[in-house]
Amino acid sequence: MKPKVNRRNFLKAVGAGSAVTASAGLWFFGTQAGQDPASYTGMTNREGGFQTFNRRKWSVSKPTYEKVGETSRPDARTEVIFARMGQIRGYDKAKGLGEFPQHVQDYYKAHPEDLELDTTVRQEIHAKRSEEIKKPHDEFILSKAWSSAMGAVGPRGVNAPPEKWDFPRGSNTPYKMKDPKRTSRLIKKISHQFGSTLVGIAKLNPDWVYKYPMNGGRGFKANEPMEVPEHWQYAIVVGVPMSWDPMYANPPYGTSNDAYSLSRIVAHRLTAFIKNLGYAARPHTPGADYDLMVPPIMVDAGLGEQGRHSIVITPELGCNFRPSIVTTNIPMAPDKPIDIGVQDFCKTCKVCAKQCPSGAISHGEKVEIRGYKRYALHSSKCSNFWSSKLGNMGCRLCVAVCPYTRKSNWLHQAALNVSLHDPTGLSDIALAKMQEVFYPGQEPQKYYMPSMGGENASYRPVPWWLKTDDFIDTADGE
Amino acid sequence: MWFFTSGAFWFIEGILCALAVIGLKVWMEDRNTPMRLWKWVLVGAWMLLLGFTIAFIGTSVGENEMVAAKKGGIIFSVICVIFGAVVWQLLQIGRVKNTGDLKTDKNEEV
Repeated sequence: MKPKVNRRNFLKAVGAGSAVTASAGLWFFGTQAGQDPASYTGMTNREGGFQTFNRRKWSVSKPTYEKVGETSRPDARTEVIFARMGQIRGYDKAKGLGEFPQHVQDYYKAHPEDLELDTTVRQEIHAKRSEEIKKPHDEFILSKAWSSAMGAVGPRGVNAPPEKWDFPRGSNTPYKMKDPKRTSRLIKKISHQFGSTLVGIAKLNPDWVYKYPMNGGRGFKANEPMEVPEHWQYAIVVGVPMSWDPMYANPPYGTSNDAYSLSRIVAHRLTAFIKNLGYAARPHTPGADYDLMVPPIMVDAGLGEQGRHSIVITPELGCNFRPSIVTTNIPMAPDKPIDIGVQDFCKTCKVCAKQCPSGAISHGEKVEIRGYKRYALHSSKCSNFWSSKLGNMGCRLCVAVCPYTRKSNWLHQAALNVSLHDPTGLSDIALAKMQEVFYPGQEPQKYYMPSMGGENASYRPVPWWLKTDDFIDTADGE
Repeated sequence: MWFFTSGAFWFIEGILCALAVIGLKVWMEDRNTPMRLWKWVLVGAWMLLLGFTIAFIGTSVGENEMVAAKKGGIIFSVICVIFGAVVWQLLQIGRVKNTGDLKTDKNEEV
């Protein structure tokens, strides 16, 4: 005789089994969500499918930076660290600044700490680094090779002034575009097709164009003031993320080259596309081929808000974004800026400032810079740290530790949505605290190279495919 | 898109949750514990918290964020256990002891 099964006990047993199976399912869901290639925003398709944030809902009529006084355009010769380092080359403390151009003297008189950092301190760091790199550092072989390869491909830079370079060759009459809104849509779709993860369009604010060219390159004469060309009416901002896992392994293992290279390619493709329609276009691309400042234009174009670390935070990529800009006169409908609560979040978070080994990021309030209120960034300190560590060029630690810089899975999307929809700001405090507790960084000193008291530490472990020891036998090389 | 992040997974997960709820309903009936709407709301909240805790740990492990998995796992698990204990006590409200079966078909066989 078959044993009889009690129906109620059967239902209870099925219920208990289902609960256990459902729980196990959630575990597997979690582990797959954490590894899912689709969460590596921007790395898997070019159809624009990652620009999913509903910006219209959060659009505002004015940008979230504050205009508080008379504005002026930046002098790239001294205000951009890369250009400034070129200006102060050959400095001898005993002789002083007397032999240098007036604008260099003026800058350093106004910023005496920068003179010390850009010269004496920098020389000391370089001397230490020269000694340090003589020792074998096999752990960086793969990451350096990868970084170098990522930067190996790129279009030729701009080499003529706007009135010559920007216009199509020959006597192309521009095609009559039917409608600015349609053109904007077209430009965005095309930009995604060219490889851009995010794209936004702004009416160009002349305040963001350099007063003097950065290096006297790009067809501009050094030390001659730049006029803002009339045909620079719009700015299209395009850009892509840096590879996510190495980015988290900054400072030593990450690179900007992957995103720089693609960002440049996208901008030059877009420039060619617009020129083929008969309109003027000029790319402004990384590393230093710019005639203007990028972050405020990104803000104007509704891609994000400028954070405490001075980098623009986007809803999709956080600040893991390397932009280029194309200035053009093709008629388009600009996007509106957005307010996603970054200004309030950065007030309390300060994770980037606490983690920054160089102390370049301000812990304090915003200050007035050229008529606009924003957080100050000490570029000399930032730049000096680049030489105070080994591995790949640059740092990018502030990008890695920013709570907004998270892959796109349910967990981080939920956190973003909580922050977006909480009017009290309490969740911002909780989320910033959770960032410190759940995703802690190293002691900042550990990010330095050993001769400066550090350990060449990285924020997160190096990804498996950049672990030199696992692939290369380095024993013979020592 | 992998299976566990696909729509098919959530479809199956929904069925499993429904079966778990049915099992709980029968079990509570057998314990002579009446289930009211507010009790089901509490049970639903606890299930969500439990699910979040498991998925949080799993996602953190998947992202190789072991500190988050460990610390988050401990914090959310403790909250989950405390909340679960409170919910369990609240579920006992209205329980009838030693008064026979609430359901006449309790011993029905299949």
